[in-house]
Amino acid sequence: MSENVSTAAVLGQNAAELQREARRPRRHRTQSNAGAHTVLLIGGLIMVSPLIYQVIMSLSTNQQVESAPPTIWPGVLQWHNYLDVFAQMPFGQELWITAAITAVRLVGQLLLCSIAGYAFARMRFTARGVILGVILSIIMVPAQIYLIPQYQIIQGLGWLNTVIGIAAPGVFSAFGTFLMRQFFLGLPQELEDAARIDGASSFMIFWRIMLPLASNGLWALGIITVLWSWNDLMWPLVVTSSAGSAPLSVGLANLQGVHGNNYPVLMAASLMAMLPILILFIVLQKRVVAGIGRSGLK
Amino acid sequence: MSASTAETSTVGTAGPGTAKASRPRRRGLRPDGPWPWIFVLPTVLGVAVFYLWPILKTFYLSFTTVGVFGGSTFTGLANYLTMFSDPQIPQSILNTAIYTVIVMLGIPIAVGLASLIERPGMRFRGLYRTLYFIPYVTMPAAVGIVWRLIFNGDFGPINWFLSLFGIAGPYWLATPGFALVAVSIVGLWMSLGFNLIIISAGLREIPADLYEAAQVDGASRFRQFRSITVPLLTPSIFFVSIITVVNGFQLFDLLYVMLGKSNLAMPQTQSLVYIFYNEAFLQNNQGYASAIGILILVIIAALTAVQFRLQRKWVNYV
Amino acid sequence: MDRRSFLSLAALSGVGLGLGATLVGCSSDSSGSGSQASAYTPPAKSLKATISYAIWDVNQQPAMEKIIKGFNKIYPNVTVNIQLTPSAGGAYWTKMKTLASGKNLPDVLWMNGPNIQLFALNNQLMPIDSLVSAGQIKKSNYPSALVNLYTVDGRLYGTPKDFDTVGLYYNKDMLGQAGAAVPTSSWTWDDLKTNGKKVSDHFGKGVFGFAGDLTGGQTSWYNTMLQGGGYIISSNHKKSGYDLPGSIKGLQFWADIIAAGISPSMQQLTTTLANDWFTSGKLAMVMDGDWETAPYHQAFGDKLGVVQLPKGPKSNQSVIHGLGNVISATTKEPEAALAFVSYLGGKPPALLQADAGVVIPAFNGSQTVWANSIEGLDLQLFLDEAKVASPYPISKNTSAWNQMESDILPAAFAGQTPVATAAKKLAEQMNAELAKD
Repeated sequence: MSENVSTAAVLGQNAAELQREARRPRRHRTQSNAGAHTVLLIGGLIMVSPLIYQVIMSLSTNQQVESAPPTIWPGVLQWHNYLDVFAQMPFGQELWITAAITAVRLVGQLLLCSIAGYAFARMRFTARGVILGVILSIIMVPAQIYLIPQYQIIQGLGWLNTVIGIAAPGVFSAFGTFLMRQFFLGLPQELEDAARIDGASSFMIFWRIMLPLASNGLWALGIITVLWSWNDLMWPLVVTSSAGSAPLSVGLANLQGVHGNNYPVLMAASLMAMLPILILFIVLQKRVVAGIGRSGLK
Repeated sequence: MSASTAETSTVGTAGPGTAKASRPRRRGLRPDGPWPWIFVLPTVLGVAVFYLWPILKTFYLSFTTVGVFGGSTFTGLANYLTMFSDPQIPQSILNTAIYTVIVMLGIPIAVGLASLIERPGMRFRGLYRTLYFIPYVTMPAAVGIVWRLIFNGDFGPINWFLSLFGIAGPYWLATPGFALVAVSIVGLWMSLGFNLIIISAGLREIPADLYEAAQVDGASRFRQFRSITVPLLTPSIFFVSIITVVNGFQLFDLLYVMLGKSNLAMPQTQSLVYIFYNEAFLQNNQGYASAIGILILVIIAALTAVQFRLQRKWVNYV
Repeated sequence: MDRRSFLSLAALSGVGLGLGATLVGCSSDSSGSGSQASAYTPPAKSLKATISYAIWDVNQQPAMEKIIKGFNKIYPNVTVNIQLTPSAGGAYWTKMKTLASGKNLPDVLWMNGPNIQLFALNNQLMPIDSLVSAGQIKKSNYPSALVNLYTVDGRLYGTPKDFDTVGLYYNKDMLGQAGAAVPTSSWTWDDLKTNGKKVSDHFGKGVFGFAGDLTGGQTSWYNTMLQGGGYIISSNHKKSGYDLPGSIKGLQFWADIIAAGISPSMQQLTTTLANDWFTSGKLAMVMDGDWETAPYHQAFGDKLGVVQLPKGPKSNQSVIHGLGNVISATTKEPEAALAFVSYLGGKPPALLQADAGVVIPAFNGSQTVWANSIEGLDLQLFLDEAKVASPYPISKNTSAWNQMESDILPAAFAGQTPVATAAKKLAEQMNAELAKD
């Protein structure tokens, strides 16, 4: 036992070294980057301009938004649109539900996709290729196919209108399993072999050695799961029927009336809904880039 | 699935060189006992219940006529025969293919931008990454409304801009051809950030020594880009193109929000999934919709398999 | 008045006395039997239940909440939970079909014309004839076209909630500046075209005289088809009327005004909807539903006018559509659901809706509040139209041929295919679809 631990410790050190190497700053060059900055800035402005437009719309009156041609600058900024969001939807509560659903899916996917991904990458068992192929096929059909059957299953389990019910199908991910498999394939085989010689069990190898090495891949999977879960609309719309159980995406959709929309409030609400994950990205972007980079994807 | 088996054989070799088999099959020497099954069981069970069962059900329903609220009668190949004689189907496959190809143009753009961002000594990387990533975080429904205004033929900023050069812009969202281009541009816009992050990450994995050696040899920046950057990025490019194809065939929400009802351009713009949703949920024709769903599965699986076969010819694994 | 009788009935049965036209038993506690039997007895006031009520318009939610409060004054122990689902992108109906597949349809739900036969003929809804025979609901309280809409195979499935008819809105300033006449109720299609042309010619590029929403038929071609002397679907819902000469005249009308430059082109109307052209002051006259009155008035104030639709070769008929409140066939609380739907069909909810001003309530006599809701605008025309209006065209699978309309007609309006050819093709496809029902 102690031997295993020590092997793991040594290998862990190796891993840390590997990571440090990857982060090692590149040597500066003398060439000017002014041209690059110009291109990136112009491109970046084009990329965010629809969002800027959205921000302007969120500060206009509805009449200004609906007029043709649309008013480019609203003059008086209608900041109250952001406050109106709270009057028109239970934003705080829906945010909380969205966060809870996302958390369940996140934890589930990180756990299940990493163990399954590892097995598909590094373990040998009967029909491995076939099972993986079947799992992959589920990302190849339109998601709407799942709607009615999944509803009936969740209903049968008595999970309608619950966080677990909304989250359940999304805990299992073919994409995540594939991603993690690719990641584990990219990790050096030697570490594992060394541990095997030391007599570590398959589980110990995974848990003590491979999973810590995979932490960057988990970051990548995590951010993808969070983004997808945050905006997921049709499924929660169908499984939730009481106002108190719906997530933000459903609340946003519900702001749309039949005749006449309050576009500024709609835009304000969608910007507010987007803000938490945008902040998350800004804070985590270095880790995300590193994570996806190391995910092998080869 | 042939896709995965083809892939297993090539991808399994993480060692240097591109061919199969350079690594001895060490894994074969020591079976893992029950562990693999314990590891895959939760995923296999969950996938079987929530995803595989619906797909099998869809497969069965594709041979039936389905009542709106359940109940089906076996009609053999009728749905498939209808599908093969439906002129909308080949047109929508073409539309989807064009959409996917245009969105794929975002990959070289992402490679170019990422290599600028990851240039040595570059500042504000975080800012740039965030700027390009923002569209990926937006809600499709809200952003679709914004793009609808941007592409408006009479009052949109794009046609206003064109008019400065004396060009009378088209009715983007209501003219066959242009509508598909407009939707594709939005698709490209939304996916560029994701592609850029993947490619950026791939760039950071390229050892700096290679560039240094090239510089010593006097290779120009462009030469370095062509001979070092692009070849070593091929795994990331490959991954991104797989994802783009799979996502491209799921095109749906944008069409709803941007084109609206009774649009003249719809036949030349609609995707297979759009027809699928229309048939399944609006026209209450679930049997026929199921056949379309199976067609989508077959097309994507075939494309993925082809991509995995082709990867041996152009993807370099280091 | 209806409310009072309902109240007394409820009160009486509450103390154990039976009362009613076709009353069989007097026990108010016989749970469940009321829904199946032809006789209906309002349940006891002490009835305890929780029911769900599915709606799709966020703008009407406040009025619905007030109505539930009113209902709770009679049945304080019945909790009604509103379930809001947007109609955008078909979300509401996708959800209802999914829920129905699990036999889990909300107890009471909003229904519309295109879906009533689909749900009723597939046994998803509970008939409410017992409410009629018990005198709780009087069919004569609603425009007959609406009662017909919700009567399927001779059985009534819902109480009419509201209705829409179509009028001709106009911008007085624009007409005045162009030297065009202001529309009157005696206008004909020719008057509309002549004056519309004046506006288009006067202002030139980018401003138009007249248009309608051509992304759907309700406020545009459905009306002109009737006015031309045709119909959209036969009254037994079995045969398409698109190939009738009168119908073709009604379709040709739109192709003509686009070709003449009176209306924005088909492309312009799909990317900027007719109502947006009008509110932006770039369109002088628009055919539109009564629901646009409030937004249009907000935009133009007393510069806004509205009259009945102009007369075509045959008539100046409008199409009428309205929602209904229906009950799920699988409800576990049939007593509470029936009591709620019965209440919804009465006058107090109608008055609350009229007060909210979002829709015209279906209950006759309650609409005057709505008609007078905007000072200076006489909205009585929408009510007058309702009396002679033709019901919204539906069949068992309405959306199937609605899709055909969207596929075929835009090219005809745009002048890319001859109207007669398109109409004939549409009639053929539609008849083939109707044969499946």
